[in-house]
Parts: sequence; C-alpha cells; structure tokens
Amino acid sequence: MALSGIQIYKLLPQTNCKECGFPTCLAFAMKLAAKQVELSTCPYVTEESKTQLAESSAPPIRLVALKAGTEVKAGNEVVLFRHEKTFYNKPGIFVRFKASDSGIAAKAAAAHAYSVNYVGMDFVVDGFAIEADGDLGAAVKAVRGATDRPLVLIGDAAAIEPGLQACSGETVLIHAADASNWEAMAALAAKYKAALAVKADTLDGLVDLIEKIKAKGVEDLVLDFDTTQLGKWLAMSTQVRRLAIKQNFRALGYPVFAPAYAAADEGIFAAEAIAKYAGFVVLDKFVPENVYPLLVLRENIYTDPQKPIQVQPGIYEINSPKPEDPVLITTNFSITYFAVANEVEGSGLPAWLVVTDAEGMSVLTAWAAGKFDAERIAKAVKGFDVASKVSKKRVVLPGHVAVLSGELEEELPDWEIRVGPREAVDLPAFMKQALN
Amino acid sequence: MSKYIATRAIRGANALVTEAEVMLNKAIVEKGMDTPVSFPNTAYFLPTIYGMTGQAVETLGQLKPIVEQARSLLHLTPSESRWTPYLGETLDSGMSTLLAAEIIEAVRFVYGLQPEPMEGFTLAGGTSYGGQNGHNHLNGPIDDIQLRSWGIQLVDGRMPGFAAIVGCAKNNATAVKIVRELQRRNILTFLSGNVNGRSIIHQLQEEGVELGYDTYTVPFGTDTLSAIYALGFATRSALTFGGLKAGQAREILMYNKERVFAFVLALGEVDDLKYAAAAGAINYGFPVIADTVIPEILPTGVTTYEHVVSMPFDAIDGKDDMEKAERLVQKCIEIRGVKVKVSNVDVPVPYGSAFEGEVVRKADLRVEFGGKYSRCFEYLQMTKLDEITDGKIEVVGPDFSGIDAQGHMDMGIIIKVAGRNMQTDFEPVLERQVHYFVNGASGIQHVGQRDIAWIRISNNAADKGFDLKHFGTILHARFHEDFGAIVDKVQVTIVTDPALHAEWLEKAREAYDFRNKRLADLTDDKVDEFYSCTLCQSFAPNHVCVVSPERLGLCGAYNWLDCKASFNINPTGPNQPIKLGKMIDFEKGYWEGTNDYAKIGSHDVVQEVSMYSIMENPMTACGCFECIVMLIPEANGVMVVSREDTAMTPAGMTFSTLAGIAGGGLQTPGVMGVGKFYLISPKFISADGGFKRVVWMSSVLKESMADEFKAVCEREGDPDLLDKIADERNATTVEDLLAWLEAHEHPAMMMEPMF
Amino acid sequence: MPIEIPKDKWPGSIKAVTIGATAAEGGTRAKSITIGGQNTMPYLQFEKPTPNTPVIAIEIKSRKPEDWSPLLEKPWGEAMADPAEWAKKAEAAGADLLVLALTLEDTPDSAVKTVKAVLAASGLPLVVWGPGQAEKDNELLVPVAEAAKGEKVVLGVCEDKNYRTIVATAMANGHLVEARTPMDVNLAKQLNILISDMGLPMDRIVMDPTTGALGYGIEYGYSVMERLRLAALQGDAMTQLPMMVTPGFEAWKAKESKVGEGVPEAWGDWEARAVNWETLTAMALVESGADVVVLRHPESVKRVKAAIGELMAA
Repeated sequence: MALSGIQIYKLLPQTNCKECGFPTCLAFAMKLAAKQVELSTCPYVTEESKTQLAESSAPPIRLVALKAGTEVKAGNEVVLFRHEKTFYNKPGIFVRFKASDSGIAAKAAAAHAYSVNYVGMDFVVDGFAIEADGDLGAAVKAVRGATDRPLVLIGDAAAIEPGLQACSGETVLIHAADASNWEAMAALAAKYKAALAVKADTLDGLVDLIEKIKAKGVEDLVLDFDTTQLGKWLAMSTQVRRLAIKQNFRALGYPVFAPAYAAADEGIFAAEAIAKYAGFVVLDKFVPENVYPLLVLRENIYTDPQKPIQVQPGIYEINSPKPEDPVLITTNFSITYFAVANEVEGSGLPAWLVVTDAEGMSVLTAWAAGKFDAERIAKAVKGFDVASKVSKKRVVLPGHVAVLSGELEEELPDWEIRVGPREAVDLPAFMKQALN
Repeated sequence: MSKYIATRAIRGANALVTEAEVMLNKAIVEKGMDTPVSFPNTAYFLPTIYGMTGQAVETLGQLKPIVEQARSLLHLTPSESRWTPYLGETLDSGMSTLLAAEIIEAVRFVYGLQPEPMEGFTLAGGTSYGGQNGHNHLNGPIDDIQLRSWGIQLVDGRMPGFAAIVGCAKNNATAVKIVRELQRRNILTFLSGNVNGRSIIHQLQEEGVELGYDTYTVPFGTDTLSAIYALGFATRSALTFGGLKAGQAREILMYNKERVFAFVLALGEVDDLKYAAAAGAINYGFPVIADTVIPEILPTGVTTYEHVVSMPFDAIDGKDDMEKAERLVQKCIEIRGVKVKVSNVDVPVPYGSAFEGEVVRKADLRVEFGGKYSRCFEYLQMTKLDEITDGKIEVVGPDFSGIDAQGHMDMGIIIKVAGRNMQTDFEPVLERQVHYFVNGASGIQHVGQRDIAWIRISNNAADKGFDLKHFGTILHARFHEDFGAIVDKVQVTIVTDPALHAEWLEKAREAYDFRNKRLADLTDDKVDEFYSCTLCQSFAPNHVCVVSPERLGLCGAYNWLDCKASFNINPTGPNQPIKLGKMIDFEKGYWEGTNDYAKIGSHDVVQEVSMYSIMENPMTACGCFECIVMLIPEANGVMVVSREDTAMTPAGMTFSTLAGIAGGGLQTPGVMGVGKFYLISPKFISADGGFKRVVWMSSVLKESMADEFKAVCEREGDPDLLDKIADERNATTVEDLLAWLEAHEHPAMMMEPMF
Repeated sequence: MPIEIPKDKWPGSIKAVTIGATAAEGGTRAKSITIGGQNTMPYLQFEKPTPNTPVIAIEIKSRKPEDWSPLLEKPWGEAMADPAEWAKKAEAAGADLLVLALTLEDTPDSAVKTVKAVLAASGLPLVVWGPGQAEKDNELLVPVAEAAKGEKVVLGVCEDKNYRTIVATAMANGHLVEARTPMDVNLAKQLNILISDMGLPMDRIVMDPTTGALGYGIEYGYSVMERLRLAALQGDAMTQLPMMVTPGFEAWKAKESKVGEGVPEAWGDWEARAVNWETLTAMALVESGADVVVLRHPESVKRVKAAIGELMAA
C-alpha cells in the first residue's frame, strides 16, 4: 500500500528548508506520494526514513536523460492510461542516418533546421541516430557540425566506440546490448557514461541481461523488444509498463526504445509506440509529412488531461477581414478555437476572432470557473486594440455566455454587444443572417 | 376492489364467452372447420389471441380451444355475502372477455359483417378491404403498415399515447370537443361502442368530423366489441417494438403498462359488457375513465395510477359542456400520466437564452417591481393535482398602464405546480428557476429571488405589448419544458392588488421561513440516501461527489435537494441516489453505501470515503471547488483558500498550485476541495475537530460570509474565533502564521494533534 | 525465475454485435460481420485472444459531395456520382463494411432507391447515416429501414436529442443503431441506457463516442474510448458495446488534409500528409479500442487494415 502524503510527511525533517524546490515539507511529501519526485531530492532525510520510504522513494520507471546541447528525457511515468493522471515525458523523436552516407552532414542540417508550429508551439526533431555502417567517428563529427541535439549510436561495440569518442562529454544512447555482446556494450556504456539499450525478445531475456549489465555498473538502461510486429510490441510494452507501475517491478522499470526504422509501416508503428509507452522513437529518415503528424500525435497524447492545449490569446484574422467585418469572441482552449476558426474559415466569411485568455478552458467551463467573464473579455478587446482595426464597434459573444452581455456593456460602454449562437457550427448562418 | 364492478365484469364476461361459443359453433356448422379466419393486412393473425396465448389461429376450428381457454379464465359471480378482493378474478374475466370478443369479431369477418358496414360513410384514409376502399363501412382493425407508422410515433414520443373511446357523449358538440382536445394533443383516438344504439361515431359523423387514419381518429365499430381492435393494436405494438414473442402474455401486458400511454374513456351508461371490456383494458395497464357515476377503483397497482375513475360529466367543474369536456380530457391525461409538451413561449418579445444577460437601464425602463421603491416576491407552491388548472394565468389587481414612465409598483408572482412526482422539497429548486426563465425574455431583467426579487420591464418590451400576464406564459411553458418529469400542471397568479399582495407576501415569507428551518433540520442522520454527482467526470474521470444534506457539492452549485430533484427529472442523469445502508462510523462519516458507491463511481480508484474527515480517506475533487482546505501541520489546523484569492498562502503555494494537488479525482489526505457553504456546516471536518481547526482563511471569504461564520463561531462556543483566524493580510508563511496564532490564542494550538 | 506476466482478469466483456444478414439470416448480404466480444484492453492477446477482428468501413455518399478534398476525387473518380459504383469500388478497396451517408437533398424516395442500389451493388453489410438534421434524418431513415428490412443495417446516428424515432424504426424492422455522444463517458452511457430502455436489445447498439482528428482533439476521443472500454471490462453493462468512430470524416476536415496551398512548408507533401493524417488518426483510435473505423481514402484503408492484421496476429 502506497503511503499518503501525510504519512510521508511524518518521516521527513519537517523543517520547510525549501532546498528540495518545494515550499514546505508537506508539499514535497505530497509530490513524493504522487511519485513525481525522488526522495533523494531531500538533502536531510534520515537513513531510517529512507528505509521506510523505500517504496515511495523513486518513480517506478527510471528517468533516462540523453544530453548534448539539448536534453531528451524518458521515463518517470506513473500511470498506464493518460486519463488517470497524465503522461509526463514525451518520447524523443529521432531520425536515423547511416555513417556510410556521404550526404550525412547536409541531411543532418536539414533535419536540424526543421521546425513546425502547432497552436503556437514550435516542434523540432529531438535528436539523431547514426548507424555505424561506416566510419562512425567521422559521421558523428559531421553530424555534430550540423546539430547539437542528443545522439543514439547504433552498432556493435567496436564500431560504436569511435563515435563515442567523437562526442565525449555527452550522454549518448548506444544500441544495443544483446545476449551475444552485452559485456562489451556494458563496458562501453560504463566507460563513456552512456545510456544503453538492451535487446531481447522476451521479458525474461531482458531481465537476465539487465541483471548482468547492472552488475557492471550501468544504470541508465533502455529496453528494446527486438520486434516491430505491432501486436507483439504492444503486448511487451504493456507488460513492462504494468510490471513497473502496478507491481513496482524495478528490474524492468526503464524507458522503451521503438525502432520505427525497422517497421513495415514506419508511421503506423511510430503511432503505436507514441501511444503505448515508448521513450525513444527512431525514424528511418527525415520526411516532413511523416514527422509532422507524429509530433502532433505525441503532443496530443502527452497533453495533461486537466491542462488542455491552449492557443495564444490575441486577435486572429480569418479570411482577411476588413475593418467593417465582425468581431467574434472566444476562449483560448485549443479545441474551442479550432471549432470556431474552422467553421468561419470554411464558410469563407471574413471575421476578426478575439481569443481571450481563459486559462485554456472551453467557453462554458471557463465561464463556470470565472475565467471568462466580462472583465476578461473587455481586457482582451482593449488589450489587443481591436478598436483600431475595425470600423464597427460591435462584438459577438458566444451564446453560452449570453448572461455576460449586460456586464460587458458596462465594461465596453461604446461597443454594441451581440449574442451569437451557442455552437460554432451555427456561426456562418448567424453571420450571414444576423450580422448585416 | 369494488365488488360492484367485479360482479358486473364477471357477469359480462360469462355472457360474452357463452355468446362467442354459440357463434363459433354455428359458424363451424355453417362454414366448416377449415374455413380461414383472419384480420386483414396483418401478419399477427388474430393479434390479441396470438399475443396472449401464442396460438396462430388461421381457421374456425382453431378457435375452439381458444373458447375453452377463455372459459377457463371465468369465475363465479361473487355471492351477496362475500367481501374478498376480486381484482384477480376481475382481471381474469377481463382477459376472457378480450379473447371472446376477438373470436366474435373473427367470426363476423367470416360472415362479411366486419368491418362494420355503414351506408354513406367514407373513411378519411384507412385499411383497404377487398373492393370496399373506405366507402360504406367503418375501419375495423388497424393494418400492419399503419401500426408501424403510428407505432414509431408512439415509441419515439411524437404521439403521447392513444385513447379508446367507448360509448356516446352527452351531445354532439361535446363529442366533437372531446375529439378535438385529443387531436390537439396529438393523441391517437379509437372510437367504438354505443349507448342505446347511438355511438360517438354517429355523433361525429353528423357534425362532419372526418374520421380515419388521416385524422388520427379511427372509427372501429359502433358496438363495444370492436374496442378489441384497440387491444389488438396494443398487443401488436409490443410484438413489433418490444421484441416480444407471441405467448409472452405477461411481458406484453407489462410492456403496454410501462410504455404505451393509453386509456379508455367510457362515455355514457356502463353496461356489463363494458365493465368486462374495461377489466380487459386494465390488464394492459390502461385505466378507465367514465363520465358517469360508477364505483371507482383507486388503489394503484396494475395500472400506473388509478384503475377506474368516475367523473360524472355534469358534476365536472366548468361553465359549459365545452369546458367540462376539456377538463375530462385533461383528467384522462393526468390519470394515465401522459406527458404533453408545450413547445414555444408565446410572448410578444423575442425569447431565448441569448437574452439572459440583458440589462435594462434606467433610461430604457418602463416599470420596475422590487428594488429600492417597491416590493416584489416570487413564491412557488406545490398543490394537489385537482386544485389547479394547468395553463391558467390570472392577474389580480391593476396592470402597469397607470404607472408613470420609469415608475415602480408592488408585484407578486405566485406559481402553483402539481405533479405526481412533485415533492414539497422541490419547491425551492423550482422557484430558483424563475430567475433564468424570466430573464430569457428580451427587454426583461430579473435579479434576486424570493422576496428580494427585482424585475424591470423595458420601454421596448412594453411597447411590443409585454404585459404582466406574460410572466405567467413564460413560467407555464418553461416549467413544462424543463421540468416536465415532475410537473404536470402549472398555474400562475400575478398579484398587484395591495391587500392581496400583502396577504400573499406574508404567506410566502412563512414558506421561506419554513424552508429555511427545513434545510436546517435536514441533517445527514435524518435521511437514508445521499446523492452522487458525476457531472465533472468528463474532465476528472474518477471523481465522484457524494452530496449529503450537510455537505453540498464542492462546486457549490448542487445541494442535496438539487440532486434529489435532478434525479427525479432525469433518472439516468449524473445525480443518482446512494442508499446509505449500514452505518460503519458516524463520526467519520462512513456508510457501506457511500463506500460501495465510491468504488463504483471512481472506477475502483477510491476504496473508501469519509464524509467528515480531511485526514482519512477524504472526498476527492474534480477541479470546480470553491475553496481548498489544506492541512498546516505546524499549526495543528487547516487553512481555507478561496478560488478568488490569488495571493500566497502559508502553505507556500497559491490557489492555482494547490488546485493541482487537490483536483483530479485522487484521494490526497490533508487536502480537500469544498463548496464554501460546507465550511459553515456542523459536519465540516467534524471528525478532525470541526471549524475550530481553521487557522487561516482568505480574507475575501471571511468578509463575504462574515455573518454565517459568526453564527458558526457561536455554535462552536468561541464567539471571537473568527478574529483569531489569520488571513493573507497578516500571514503568508508558516512562521508568521504561528506567531499570529500564538498571539491570538487560537484554539487549534491547544487541541489534540491532528495526526 | 521467470517473470510472471501480469494479466488483468476482468469481470465484464464487450457484447458481440453482428451487422448485416446473409440469405440464411434473412437478408441478402454476402456475409455478416461480428464485432466486439473482447474481454481485454485492445489487442492484449496474451490475456485472452481478441475474438473478432475490428473492421474498416468506407464512407460513401448518396450524391457527389461538394466539400470533399480533391485528393479524394483522385482514387474514387466518377464513382463518386454513383453510389452503387462507389460501393463496388469501396468493396474492391478493402472495405469490410459500407457507410452510406444520405444528404439533405435526398427525399424518402431517393434515399430508398439509393439504399436499394447500394445493397444490390455490394454484398457488404451496410451502415446508413441520415444527413444529420433531426427531422430530415427521421424522415429518410424510417422508409429506408422499412425498405431494408431484414438486412440488419446500422441506422445512424442516434443522438441525445434525436434517437427515439430511429430506435423505434430499428426495432420494428430488425436493424441496429449507432449511438453517438460528444466525447463523454457518462453521456455515452446515458444514451445507451435511454436506447435500451426503449426496448432495443443491447446487441443491436453500436456506440460512437465521437472523436477529434489528430491535432484537433483526438486526445479526448482517445481517452474517452479507453475509459469506456475500462468501464465495460469492470462490469458496467451500459458501456459494454462495440465502438464505431469516424477518423475519416474528422481527419479530412482538418486543414492539414483539406488544404494544399498556402500552408507551412514544414507540413511537407500534401497528399502523403493527408493520408498520414487520416491513417494516424485511425491508428490511435484502433489502439484505444475502436471496433469500426470509418475511413475515406483507399490508401489509409490499406495501411490501417494491415495494422489491424498485425495486431490480431500476435
């Protein structure tokens, strides 16, 4: 039985020293109870307490961080299903190059330069994998000339070592130790402080290898199930996650490696991997139309169910509006925004869309929570200087918050307040019929 | 059970079975055993026989065992001296009557006597019989195609139900009025029977009323027996739409009772046969209403409500026959529980939720009620069903035409509602809706409630003809629309007459007081069920609010009464009763029922829930809580942070950070999200020491609920307690807080350790 | 010591639902399709084999859609103007099931005619959607249900505000219904209760919990489906129904699929991106428990079908 925050609190120093980064010992204890922080963050906890807190002292899935100029973290997850809390560390999306490829530097530069915007967030490829089918040392140098993001090096120990030498000081993931080469790989990982992927097609095989590798002093491990068969991969990934979270089975409490580059349909496999617990996903090559949907899927799956995706508040132009076109008000919950923007855009009618900061909630929820009231709407209208853009001082409120119309009149005395439809689908008709 | 009815029905049944047997035997002799018998255009053979006995009768010979079966259901006529319940016997007789009636009609078909010939009559749409296409005959049974078409409408609710009228109305005009009232409500009407040879069918025909499928008013035949077609229709509905099989008699009868809103209206004198047929209808759960004096069968059971109701036509309250007819139909509808929809709000100004937020400013003001210069109240009262008239709206006293522009006057809105599922406890829940309902009218502004209501009518609305009576129109329509599940009748009186206003205001205030006391008396130990609220599971999937009389929902919007009403309105909705069952620990607030529900409602995430503790298995929270209560271990007490408070708290976290810990449907001992009125409940963390544990509270809360808190402090025996509680103005760290508590001798410092 | 694989033992399972009827079953379909029946979270075959393979439906319309992406005109071409032809082409493209969407221009006569033509052209089981306006849906679906009596068609869509007529006609004519609710577990459950309260057996209801496209709210649909499946496995009878979702409709509404010009370069090639959008939307939903995914592009059909095959093979 997991300890509650209060039970943990009793075992802490109760000094509120704040060195753990939390304001009080109780706050820290509650985070610990939720398995979102490690006990070792507390510098003053006694040995006795540590023993008692062993169960609660570390997240069930080890956090493995690959570091170079940027960092990619995986692990530290606490639930099987995102709705139970949230998934925390987004799987790193890597693109694989081959050391033998003479165009590797240019390809790395192109992939590095890639950036795509999704509701105000910029996504990039997190890192790169290089397969040691040629001079890995040279390849790593070439890639490093183009990008400072973390690396995965794929090959046998002998082929990988020159690569590791070429990027010393970084935390690299090396791939992969199996029954035949684990000693050499483990030695390499220990020597270069690299994270090590361990590959076997059964859980028993993985545990066996992991025990031996850990004995060699390698702690940062990543699991590879040696398959891209969707059904088998799903089963193993689920089993590993369950063992870690429900049974606190430490021997398999590591992030999972998803070799999408080896799959029959890379996109499909990567989608499964993102949804079902992968920590690192490696794609075969860099193709924007393949990478972009995966980056979005990852963002969606890893969105905190209680903190939905938000859009940047502001005034959005739809279908190139002119000063006489209508001003519509909505909230900055992404789905609400999309619903409104898509309907209006689809209708071809021009409009100014004022997105109010409602802390990412939908119209009704925000209104109920007091995050979408006349004051906030007025602040947005004034703050974004809507008056300077339009000739007709008239705003359209979402129908669900018709009750705000009176207050909004007070807040925006020289504006005409109109109440629009409740649902976005009805907006085009409303704009055509009622706003002329 | 009335012995009188039992005697007549049993007698009628005996006679009819004998008649059926005689007719059948004669027909077999004349036409032969193998002569086919059927009703036209149906795949269900002789439907009542088929449904009740499972026998697919296709020849005269096959009817013989059916006669036997009918006979086996007969009972002896009760003797003069016996006074036992006769319901079972009567129902059996009713069933044998139906079987016999169908046998007789089937035989008549063999002789070409059905559908009943009627010279000069033309159906407005109907079943086609060989060559006769709707001329010179009545309709007879309904065919399968029409059954499906109407059946869908009955099942999907477009048609609220059907009426089987048997007999003859007082006069032609009354007959027309009754049928029109039924048509107006979209109720399907079947006509049959006669009184001394004169049938309602004759009456309507004479008045030129079109009868047939097209007018939803179907003439079966001028004798009582043809009423069997109504039950054949009901039986086939169950087979078609209920997925039932022939022979599942009980299921077919239950299906009709529960899903087919039908009733029998017996017009004129009731003879033995009619009693017997009525008993048959009761088997289907269809009540019988007679417009003559007959004994009533009121206890409910087989039908949803009363079985037999007598409503002597001349004794009905009403200024003329037309009004009486209207009331009669209204009564039928009430008895069967037929719900009728009122769809639009008929007022001269635009109406809709888009106008809810409108403000009527001084410059636009025509007249106001309440506010600074006049008194306005609204009072909703539950009455008995027969005490009020649905849709009646009265204005007692002058209207506002005599009031100057921007003037004011006293007004009271008295709403009387009645309904079979209405309860006195729902009065305040419904009364609070007046605010939303009235505000929906363009140009009308409503603020407040009870005797501090304040209503403004704008010039624009007044110019368009908005008048006092329209408040009644709005309320009548909206209560039916939104609360149809508990409200059957709504009558509204608008009072401006000074004397009456004063009188009703007094009554209203008594009622408010009574309700306040009732609420105060309504404690957790006095009820045997709490309510769940899963409204927030869309974003906090495993969170369940358990709402008790002394602990309202954490959002502050739902108290126990609201939940109870909501359950009655929407039985499959988010508020379900939680039977408390065995009490496990009253101090901490554990019951078997609440624990079981917590498990189910949280999908097994929460195993136990304590209603009154923050330290042990506290209730989870979604994210909508008005306040967060959190343990301050150093102070041996708790702090209460209001949603409106954005400042730092002694826990080192602001409300929004705390919300992340408190929410999400996870049980976190030491933290709890609550509705602010729970703070003043005697059950507020009572297992942990109650309100005296509060060491810190957001000032906004302290000030906005100062009076309530003062009362709580007195109750807790420490009248100055509120002043001992710190807030963000004097303590935002634990150290400051401790110093403050020390200096003010807060009781929590002296209480037992919280853990 | 070998690891003990953690297996969940669930008290509940999803109802098996059969769509379409062969001649032996009273219809004219070449074969019927059974979905549902699972007793595990999606495809966890190490616990218990998945008894019925989730299927792919292709959406066709009663008349040529005006607002579909030109990318969809490429594969379907002229057939889009002829529902019977379109049905044949969809069957050839690998559909297990057809969804015929009626439109606002349809009349009861034209709807019946089209449904009959589609039933004649293809032996696949059929789902028929009304155009999505309550009154029109009822006006069209009632005669369609009568005309297709015996075929065990799925009639859609039943929503909170409009289900009674569709359910009534499904009961009268032996069909199934699709029960759609807006991404909420409790609303889905409530509608299932309301529909079964009318007397339609549970094994004639397919629920559609609604989804969003990738980037447009898919996470809500995804989690609602996982939660519905979990609730069903935990024994909540009112959620134990197979799920049908419409990733094709959702994905092709997204700007990423619909628009080829004036979009960021980082989005890459239009056609490949559009197919990816539909495929990945569908794939995520397949992983969260969809029993029927309704798609539009043959390439997506091919890819998702292959993926389901792999998941079933384990």
